[in-house]
Amino acid sequence: MLDLKLLRDIRGMKGQMTAIALVMACGLTLMIMSRGLLLSLETTKNSYYTESRFADLFCDLKRAPLFLEPALAMIDGVAQVETSVRGAIILDIPGMKEPADGFVHSLPEGRPRRLNRIHLRSGRLPEAGNRDEILVSDSFAKAHGFRPGDAIDATVYGVRRSFRICGVAISPEYVYEIRPGGMMPDPERFGVFWMSERELSRALGLEGAFNSVAFRLAPGADAEMVKADIDRLLEPYGGLSAYDRERHVSAKLMEDEVAQLRVFSVAFPVVFLSIAAFMVSAALTRLVKLQREQIAQMKAFGYSGFSVASHYVKFAFVPVVAATLLSGTLGMWAAHAFIGLYQRFFNFPALIFRPDWSALLVALLASGLVSFLGVLGAVRQAASLPPAEAMRPEAPADYSPSFLEKAGLHRLVQPSFRIALRNLERKPWQAFFTALGLALAAAIPVLPGAMADGVDYLVDFQWNMAMRQDAVVTFIEPSGGEALLSLSRFPGVLYAEPFRAVPVRLFNGHRERTAAITGMPAAPRLNRLLDSQERVVPVPGSGLLLSEKLAEVLDLSPGDEIRMEVREGRRPVLATFLSGTITDFTGVGAYMEIEGLRRLLGEGTTASGAYLQVDSLYWDEFWRRVKETPRIGSVTTTAGARESFSKTTEEMMGVSQMLYLVFSLIVSFGVIYNGARIALSERSRSLATLRVLGFTRREVTTILLSELGLLTLLSIGPGLLLGTWMAKSILESVDTETMRFPLILGARTYVVAVLTVFVSTVFSFVVVGRRIAGLDLLAVLKSAE
Amino acid sequence: MAMNAEYTPLFRARGITKIYHPGTETEVRALDGVDLDLYEGELAVLLGASGSGKSTLLNILGGLDVPTDGTLSYRDEELTGAGERELTLFRRNVAGFVFQFYNLIPSLTARENVALITEIAPDPMEPEEALGLVGLSDRMDHFPSQLSGGQQQRVAIARAIAKRPEVLLCDEPTGALDVHTGITVLEAIERVNRELGTLAVIITHNAAIAAMADRVLSLSAGRILSIHSNEKRAPVNTLSW
Ligand SMILES: Nc1ncnc2c1ncn2[C@@H]1O[C@H](COP(=O)(O)OP(=O)(O)OP(=O)(O)O)[C@@H](O)[C@H]1O
Ligand SMILES: [Mg+2]
Repeated sequence: MLDLKLLRDIRGMKGQMTAIALVMACGLTLMIMSRGLLLSLETTKNSYYTESRFADLFCDLKRAPLFLEPALAMIDGVAQVETSVRGAIILDIPGMKEPADGFVHSLPEGRPRRLNRIHLRSGRLPEAGNRDEILVSDSFAKAHGFRPGDAIDATVYGVRRSFRICGVAISPEYVYEIRPGGMMPDPERFGVFWMSERELSRALGLEGAFNSVAFRLAPGADAEMVKADIDRLLEPYGGLSAYDRERHVSAKLMEDEVAQLRVFSVAFPVVFLSIAAFMVSAALTRLVKLQREQIAQMKAFGYSGFSVASHYVKFAFVPVVAATLLSGTLGMWAAHAFIGLYQRFFNFPALIFRPDWSALLVALLASGLVSFLGVLGAVRQAASLPPAEAMRPEAPADYSPSFLEKAGLHRLVQPSFRIALRNLERKPWQAFFTALGLALAAAIPVLPGAMADGVDYLVDFQWNMAMRQDAVVTFIEPSGGEALLSLSRFPGVLYAEPFRAVPVRLFNGHRERTAAITGMPAAPRLNRLLDSQERVVPVPGSGLLLSEKLAEVLDLSPGDEIRMEVREGRRPVLATFLSGTITDFTGVGAYMEIEGLRRLLGEGTTASGAYLQVDSLYWDEFWRRVKETPRIGSVTTTAGARESFSKTTEEMMGVSQMLYLVFSLIVSFGVIYNGARIALSERSRSLATLRVLGFTRREVTTILLSELGLLTLLSIGPGLLLGTWMAKSILESVDTETMRFPLILGARTYVVAVLTVFVSTVFSFVVVGRRIAGLDLLAVLKSAE
Repeated sequence: MAMNAEYTPLFRARGITKIYHPGTETEVRALDGVDLDLYEGELAVLLGASGSGKSTLLNILGGLDVPTDGTLSYRDEELTGAGERELTLFRRNVAGFVFQFYNLIPSLTARENVALITEIAPDPMEPEEALGLVGLSDRMDHFPSQLSGGQQQRVAIARAIAKRPEVLLCDEPTGALDVHTGITVLEAIERVNRELGTLAVIITHNAAIAAMADRVLSLSAGRILSIHSNEKRAPVNTLSW
C-alpha cells in the first residue's frame, strides 16, 4: 500500500527527483571516474615500477671508470647498482625540416638490465656486435610511424650515421617522455633511444666508463645518507647530485597526476553531494508538510512512526539509486575516455582501465548517507507528528516585522515584491542554501575559464614576451668563440646570443636545490628575463637571479646570501647573493652575467649554445646546415615548442572543461528548479488567488520567481569570488617546481560563469512558468489552507 | 435601490449551461440553461442547496470559468468566447471577489494585501480608505495570521473594493463566521453597494440574509427556480440567524 503511494508521489515529483539525482550524479561521476583512474594508474604504475625494477636513486656524472661500480654497490643501504652511458642524439627525419633530438641510453650486453628494465613493444633488442642497431621509444616511433627494420639517420656525439631500428620499447624512466625543461611531451621532436653498451660507449668516447648510475635501496635504508655517500664518491668524476624519484622528471609528474586525482576524487563529490543533501532536505520537508494529513491518516490507521519515517526515507533513496546507476555508467565511461588520453601521454606496457567497483559502493553509501542526513529533519517531523495535530493545518509562519522591515527597506518596493523579500527573510536557511548552490554553480565555470586564460597567458608570456629567439641551439660540448661565430654565419641567422649553462647546487642553510645556472649577456636581446609585471629584468653584474619559485623553496629574499657549488669543470664553490627574482612558469632556473660565470669557471669565451634569430625565408637552408653540423647537440624552435604545448594542453584540458561546464549547468539548473518547484508548491494558493484577482500569468510568474531571481542575483557576486578562490587554490595546489600556472581571470571567464547561471535560471523558470499556467484557479477557492 | 426595468442590465446571461466531464459516466450538469440579468447598483442574493450550481454561476459571471453553452455579456462585451487574456483583464478591472476562505496572502499585511490590487488597478482608492470602509483602520499593519476570521474577511472585502469595481462577487462570505462577525462583514458589503453603487452578488445558504437584498435568486439543480424582489431592503443589523 505504502509503496504504491511512494510510486505515485515519486511520479508527482519526478522533475525534482531528476534534478536531485543529476546533481548527485555530477559528484559521483567525478568520484567514480577519478577513483577508477586512480586505481588504474596506481596499480599499473606500481606493478610496472616493480616489474621493471625502477630505481630509487639516480645520479649523472661526467665520466667514471667502470671499476668504481663495486665501490658504489658497497655503499651502506644500496641493494643494487646499474651503471650505464647516455648521450644526446639528434635525428634527421625524412619529411621533417627541423631535426628531432633526444637521449640515447646503453643496454648491457648478454643480460637484462638490473634496474630500469626496458619493455619491448615490438622487434628485439640490439644484437651484440651489430653496430648499427638502435631501439626507439614507443611514442617517438608512433609519432613517425617507425617500425622495426626502418632506417634512421642520426648524429651521436658529432658523428652522423645510419641506424636500423631493431625494436620499439618503453622504459620506466620515461613513462612521461619529456624533454628536460620541457613542459609537455613532444613525441615528434623528442624521443628516447637505446643502443648496446659497447657501441654507445664507443660512440660517446666513454669506453670502460659510465656517466649515469641508478640505485636500488635496501629495505630501511636512509636515502639521504646514501645520496650523500654517492655524491662524495662521484665528486671527483664530475658527479652531479644524486636524486630520488621525487626529483625524477617522469616519476614526479606521474605522482603529481595521481595526487591531483586524489584531490578530485574527494573534493568535488563533497561539494556536489552537499548541494544534493540540501536539495533532498528542502524537497522532502516540503513534501512532509504537504502530506501532513496523509501522515495523520496513516498513523490513525495504525502505521507506526517508524514505518512512516521509513516511507519517506525510501523516497530519498530513489534519487540515490538513480544517481548511483547513472554516475556508475557515466563515471566508468568517462574514466575509459580519460584512460585513452592517458595512454597517449603515459608510456606503460599496458594501461588498462580497471573499474573501481568499490567506488560504486562508496557512491551508494555516500549519497545514501547524504540523502539520509538531508531527509532526517523532515522524517523526524513526519514520524513524531501526533495524528490529531497532523490533521490540523500547519501553524502559519511568523510574520512579525523583521529587522529589514523595521529598517524601512520594504517601503521602497512594491507589495508584490515584498512577498519575495518576506519569504527570504522568514526562511533564511532555505534561502542561504539555495544561494550557496547557485554560488557554486557560478563558481564552477570560473576554474576552466581561468585555466584556459592562464594557458594563453603562459604561452604569450613565455614564448612571445620573454623569448624573442626563433631557435635554441646547444652544442654537444661547451665550445669556444669560433663555434658561436660559425653559428652566426648559418644561413638566415640574423643574430646569435650565446649562453653558458652549468649544473649547480644552491644552498641556503640546510635548504638545498640542484639547478642549472645560465650565464647570459647583461642585456639580452633574445632570451629576456621578465618579472611578474612583464618588465625586463637586467642580468646583474654580481649576484644571482633566481626563478621566484626557486627563491621560495630556498627561502631566499633579495640580498640574502647563497652558497653555490658548480658541478662542472673545476667545480668552484662561491658565496654569492640573491640580487632579484624573475617570473617563469616551467622548471626553475638561476641566472648570472655570462662573463662572470666564465671567469668563475676559468674559461674564455665558451658557450653551451646560443639563442638565434632566424630569417623565416631561410629556414630550409638553416636546417640543412644544422643537420650537417656535428657539433650541435639539440635544436628546438620557439614556434614548435609553443605549438606542441598549446596542442597538448588543449587536448588534456578540453574534456575537463566540457565536464565543468556541463556540471555547473546541471547544478544551477537543479538548484533553481528545485527551489522554484518548492516555492511554487508553497505558494500555489497565493498565486492562484492572485490569478483570480486579475493578475496576469506573467505577473504571477514574476512574483514567484522574483524571489529566486533575487537570490540568483545576490549569489552571483559571491559565486564569482568563490570561483576565484577555488581557481586560486587549485592552481596553488599544482604550483610545483616543474610547472606553475598564472592565475588569469579575464572578463570572458566571469561572463561565461554568469551566463551559465542565467541560462539555467531562465530554463528552469520557463519550466516552472509552464506549471503556473496550469494552476487550477478554482480549486484554491474551494478549500481552506 | 429597487430594480428598474428601464436600466440596461450589466450582466446578460442566456441559456448558460455548464457540464463537467461531458459525454462520460461522471457527467455533471452544474448549470442547465440559466437566463439572468443583473443590474447596476443592485444587491442580489443567490440561494440554493449545496450542489445547486451557485458557485459555478458566480465563477462564470466573474470570468473565472467559462460556460459549456449559452451566452454571457457584460455591458457591450461578449464574455463567452473571450480569451484568457480578456478574462484576466475583466477580473482585474471590473470584478471584485470575496471568498469563503478569505484567500489573503499570508506574507503581506492587511494594508499590503489591499495595495497589491491597487497597484494594478486603473483607478483605485488608497488602501487606507478601503480598509476604513470596512472598519479596519486600526489593523492595517497586521498580518493575516494576526487577525480574526471576520477581520480577515473584511480585509478581503477591502481588497475587492479598493479598485472601485463595478461588480462585487461574494461566495459565502459569512460561511466560516459566527453571527455577529457575519453581520459586520455583510454591513461592509452593503455599505460598498450603497455608497459606491457597486453591483453586489452574495451567495449564501442562509435564507435570513436574503432580507438585505434587492432581489433574491433561488437556484436548484442548475436552474433558476425563482426570482423574488424585496419591497424594501432590511438593514443588515436587524438580521439574525
Ligand atoms: N471541477 C468539477 N468537476 C466536476 N464536477 C464539479 C466540479 N465543480 C463542481 N462540480 C459539480 O457541479 C455541481 C455544482 O457545484 P457548485 O460548486 O456550483 O455548487 P454550489 O451550489 O456552490 O454548492 P455549495 O453550496 O456546496 O458550495 C455540483 O454537483 C458539483 O459536484
Ligand atoms: Mg459553492
